[in-house]
Amino acid sequence: MTEIVERQTEQTRKSFIGQRRTRVEDERLVRGLGRFVDDVDPPRLVHMALVRCPYPRARIVSIDASAARALPGVLEVLLPEDVLERTDPITILRPIPDAPAIMPRALADGEALYEGQPVVSVCAVSRYIAEDAAGLIEVEYEPQPFVVDVLKAIEDDAPILHEHMGTNVVVTNPRGDGDPERGFEESDVVVEDTFSINRVSGLPMETRAILADWTPGVKTLHVRASTQAPHLFRRQLAQSLRLPEADIRVTCDDVGGAFGLKLGIFAEDLLACVHSMDLGRPVKWVEDRMEFFRGATQARESVHQAKLGVSSDGLIVSYTNRYYVDAGAHNSPMGSPMLSSLMFQGPYKFPNGYVERNVVLTNKVPVGAYRGYGQPEGSFVREVLLDRAARKIEMDRLEIRRKNFIRPDDMPWQTIGGAKYDSGDYRACLDMAAETIGYEDVLLRQAEARADGRYVGVGFGCYVEMTGYPGSKFLGKHNAQYGAHEGVVVRANRSGGVDVYTGVPPIGQSTETAFGQVAATVIGLDPGNVRVFAGDTHGTPVNTGSFASRTLIAGSGAIERAGREVREKALRVAAHMLDVPVETLELEDSVITSTQGPRITFEEVALNAFYAHRMPEGELPGLEATAYYDPISNAFAYGTAAAIVEVDPESGEFTLERFLFVHDCGTQVNPLLVEGQLHGGIAQALGAALFEEIVYDQESGQLVNGSMIDYFMPTAADLPRIELGHTEVASPVTPFGVRGIGESGTIPPGAAVANALADALSPFGVDINRLPLTAEYVWRLLAAKQAAR
Amino acid sequence: MKPAPFVYERAGSVEEALAMLQRYEGDARLLAGGQSLVPLLNMRLLMPSAVIDVNDVPGLDEIREEGDEVAIGALTRYSRIEWSPTLVSRLPLLTETVRYVGDRQVRTRGTLGGSLAHADPTGEMPLAAIALGATVVVQSQAGRRAVPAEEFFLGPYYTVLEPEEMVVEVRFPVRRTVSAIAEHARRHGDFAVISVAAVGEPNGDGGWKSVRVALGGVADTPILAVEASALLSGTSLEPDVVARAGEMALAAADPPTDVRASADYRRHLIPIYVRRTLELLQTRRSEGAR
Amino acid sequence: MTETIETVRVSVKVNGEEAVRDVEPRRQLVDFLRHDLGLTGTHVGCEQGVCGMCTVLFDGEPIKSCLMLAPQADGHEITTVESLNGEELHPLQRAFKEHHGLQCGYCTPAMLMTALALGRRGVPLDREQLEEELAGVLCRCTGYQKIYDAVESYLAETAGSGGTA
Ligand SMILES: Cc1cc2nc3c(=O)[nH]c(=O)nc-3n(C[C@H](O)[C@H](O)[C@H](O)COP(=O)(O)OP(=O)(O)OC[C@H]3O[C@@H](n4cnc5c(N)ncnc54)[C@H](O)[C@@H]3O)c2cc1C
Ligand code: FES
Ligand code: FES
Repeated sequence: MTEIVERQTEQTRKSFIGQRRTRVEDERLVRGLGRFVDDVDPPRLVHMALVRCPYPRARIVSIDASAARALPGVLEVLLPEDVLERTDPITILRPIPDAPAIMPRALADGEALYEGQPVVSVCAVSRYIAEDAAGLIEVEYEPQPFVVDVLKAIEDDAPILHEHMGTNVVVTNPRGDGDPERGFEESDVVVEDTFSINRVSGLPMETRAILADWTPGVKTLHVRASTQAPHLFRRQLAQSLRLPEADIRVTCDDVGGAFGLKLGIFAEDLLACVHSMDLGRPVKWVEDRMEFFRGATQARESVHQAKLGVSSDGLIVSYTNRYYVDAGAHNSPMGSPMLSSLMFQGPYKFPNGYVERNVVLTNKVPVGAYRGYGQPEGSFVREVLLDRAARKIEMDRLEIRRKNFIRPDDMPWQTIGGAKYDSGDYRACLDMAAETIGYEDVLLRQAEARADGRYVGVGFGCYVEMTGYPGSKFLGKHNAQYGAHEGVVVRANRSGGVDVYTGVPPIGQSTETAFGQVAATVIGLDPGNVRVFAGDTHGTPVNTGSFASRTLIAGSGAIERAGREVREKALRVAAHMLDVPVETLELEDSVITSTQGPRITFEEVALNAFYAHRMPEGELPGLEATAYYDPISNAFAYGTAAAIVEVDPESGEFTLERFLFVHDCGTQVNPLLVEGQLHGGIAQALGAALFEEIVYDQESGQLVNGSMIDYFMPTAADLPRIELGHTEVASPVTPFGVRGIGESGTIPPGAAVANALADALSPFGVDINRLPLTAEYVWRLLAAKQAAR
Repeated sequence: MKPAPFVYERAGSVEEALAMLQRYEGDARLLAGGQSLVPLLNMRLLMPSAVIDVNDVPGLDEIREEGDEVAIGALTRYSRIEWSPTLVSRLPLLTETVRYVGDRQVRTRGTLGGSLAHADPTGEMPLAAIALGATVVVQSQAGRRAVPAEEFFLGPYYTVLEPEEMVVEVRFPVRRTVSAIAEHARRHGDFAVISVAAVGEPNGDGGWKSVRVALGGVADTPILAVEASALLSGTSLEPDVVARAGEMALAAADPPTDVRASADYRRHLIPIYVRRTLELLQTRRSEGAR
Repeated sequence: MTETIETVRVSVKVNGEEAVRDVEPRRQLVDFLRHDLGLTGTHVGCEQGVCGMCTVLFDGEPIKSCLMLAPQADGHEITTVESLNGEELHPLQRAFKEHHGLQCGYCTPAMLMTALALGRRGVPLDREQLEEELAGVLCRCTGYQKIYDAVESYLAETAGSGGTA
């Protein structure tokens, strides 16, 4: 077993942490009573629609909006000159280290740099009429040379997107240790390849949406937003609209999925606010799906040139990965995925390593955060290469992994990428995966099937995932516009419960349920007595938001502190009321009992605290606490995915027969929710691995499949049954020993499937080096082999 | 993504619908199931001045057995076709093929006539109509005409229909046949990358009196593989014959490259899917299933 | 300003109640339900007929209400998720809650309506058929598995035992 620093918990009372509990959110959501942005129609509501650039790049020569302005029902048309002077560029929340910020503007400034960039904005009494008006606006464009391929964009003669930069390479971030080149020389076998990772979309079922409501005269702006981080949203709006934060309230009741895509404000948010400020009426913009594929940030696309050297006995000697992120035309609010670099090492130790991130601009929709934030890409490349090396030295792929794993007693472990792993038993997950999937049996079956002319393969992918941030100081060094902490208010109410206020909005991640379990445990109540009020910047402490698998880590820390304060004060007040020493009191199930006999309910104590009729000397009225928690370090989740495929080498078609995922997310606050998070992440990963891809035409620069019809998000009938297993090594560095779970599912599935395919087709010797793994791609690999023969 | 304005007309009869079509002089669209038309309206890829709703036309959704034919009204919905006891026994290819169309919601609304008129080159109903040798009955104020399914489709989303004409019914010959379909799609219910349907008339000696093979997704329209069908008729579907038929079907195809698959891959799949379909045909016959 | 727009009268029974409104012919049924009748439980995800978020029952059968014009509903019956709502959760809603068949909840009303129609059809289904029947509604959060667990258990419950394989 792993040696773990024993946690000093004072918790001897009843704990709701670890319970499989149904969700409190469901009560409204299954009734269809959630409140998503588009569910709110205030009086005098008007609607916004946009004119978007139809070219990959074009200079805007002239705009004629006269017909649109004359259309009955149209209230305002905003041209670039109308908004550019009144708004500031959008601040980047997570700037790319050492790179210039290329900040988005509300409307294209003289030139549009990608198909879909907003050029003109219209407001009308209905979305129908707003679209009619948008259709009447005549924009004269002068198409410009463009580039939509990341490797072409770095060539010398490539059109430069932002002239003042003189290059399309925003930044090159190198990081390394040892001497990789010598490492390769010393290796017995070196494998290398160039890997293409597909551009995909997080694709929440609810698109982006905003309802901006300016009160003229009073000059306040109330915004309903579909966002993961209302407080960051408020700050960015204040900056770009040049308003004091006090005048802006951001409310976020329910969000229909986000996955990283709904972080920060976008051009459309600014436009809706400007319209509302001009018209003095509420303005709604609900992105339609055609806009979504042309405006909402996309993800993952990158090209990796990777090289792995191993010794004949299977030890990794050197590993390098130089990769190019196709960032699109400008920064998204979340910069560019960082974790391909930070986590490039995965669960293995090796002496020589080098990773280099190049962020490259192209005339495409900007790339932003998406569940995993670089980790699925890096993990895919590493795990596929490792299998290839194993085949070359004829070593079992489990064996090569076991040999190179960082071991529990190596922890904490400082990686070459710059992460500090806290704890974990990587081998335990791999072993469990191999055993559950019946590795030895599959190998036997594989041999039999081959004799039959059928091709069965099994594959594994291992990962370590960074969850949460290693403190606000770390983010400060990276110039992030937020901290690593969460803050909550825990306030008793007068009917015996507590109210928890958090800026973390409900995006499907079940914080209301999980926070409730934590608060109830810490204070000594039943979770049914805890209500979580989330997502409104009025009344919740300034916080960071729901992303980076950090919410539960930081949030539970804050609740633990605030809850403890409330509990301790309740005990002090109770001691005074009962006239017993405070040390004799215990609070459980809403009742405070003294070992000396007397008891009093939490409700009575709270009521008294708010009346302040009978308080101990020097004790202030009220029963509430505000607390922040800044993580001391981050926790690293880990695990192994395993897949079995059967391939038809004639057609390239294959079936994913089994898919298994073994993981460790430390202490599970609620196993039911953990399973849900994993299922969802895995489905997204398998979507990206097998089906999804946003395609741009190289000739025309045009988006080929910008609609739900042509973007192949899997349906239930397309996914295998997901089998889960877990180990539970509590993290020594987080409250309650939790590790984040929100993103794990997205990381290793692609590698597991790719490795299974390569295994099935090993008689043909194919090497997989891109995603998605379509039947056509498999056929092409095989056809190329045949042609070579 | 909202439609541009149009006039909404509701037709109470075929005659009324035809009069309306005439009146709008080609600038009106019939609205049947709406599963293709309304997305196009929403995206403003179509902006007709009028939409003529034929959903209330009585009698346009009947399934009738008439001698050695089954006549299916243009407005007959996919789910009716899927579950119709008549069709399950008389035209099993139709009930099997319709399950490849979209999803349950799409099949609640989508219609046979709409599907044929929409003429998607990957459409399953057009494919089945060709494989089964159906006749499309088309009507205008000038009268009726019957068009063999093989001649009905002229190109992608393009048919012999004149602007003032509508499909009123589709007539399927019913014989003692065995049928099969095989399809490759990028995901469940998605438009086909390639689909192959085969209908065979067995003869007494274990061979096949006639075989018709049709393909979807591999040309501007679904196609009948004429030469391959001729070759297969009168054989016992021996492997080498099937292989030759696959090559002939390939020669007859001119597949497109799109986001679902390249032309090369579609070409590669043609002989494979022809073979699979014919193997399935054989299996079904020996099982006596269909 | 807007008076010049041509409207048509739509009279429709929604969740058992008669509703009459004058609407533009081009109005999508889903907009009519959500914004004219205030029944916001039915959602919108694509307006292209693909995502299924807008699924409601039309004369008892599941349809995508973004692909129907409001005037087409004239004289028909519509059932939305709101029809399930009472003091206690409907057994189908309860199954979703118990099986964690939802996360963000955006697809849930559509899943519920599709499953409700399935239950009423009363044909026994194996898991694969179940997936086929529900494939018209996408879900980006759950990976579907727990949704199918929920529906399976509901169908088993409504069919007595052995309703599903
Ligand atoms: C999510 C989704 C998935 C789909 N998947 C598939 C699939 O896999 N395979 C497939 O084949 N289809 C698929 N479809 C399309 C579906 O089959 C449509 O129902 C069909 O193409 C059109 O039939 P409709 O009755 O809905 O016609 P409508 O949409 O009402 O009309 C389509 C066209 O036909 C015209 N029209 C309608 N009726 C007549 C008539 N009687 N005479 C003359 N013209 C007429 C209309 O004016 C319009 O131009 C899918 C649709 C959706 C939304
Ligand atoms: S909104 Fe109707 S199917 Fe997507
Ligand atoms: S629960 Fe979020 S889309 Fe299904």
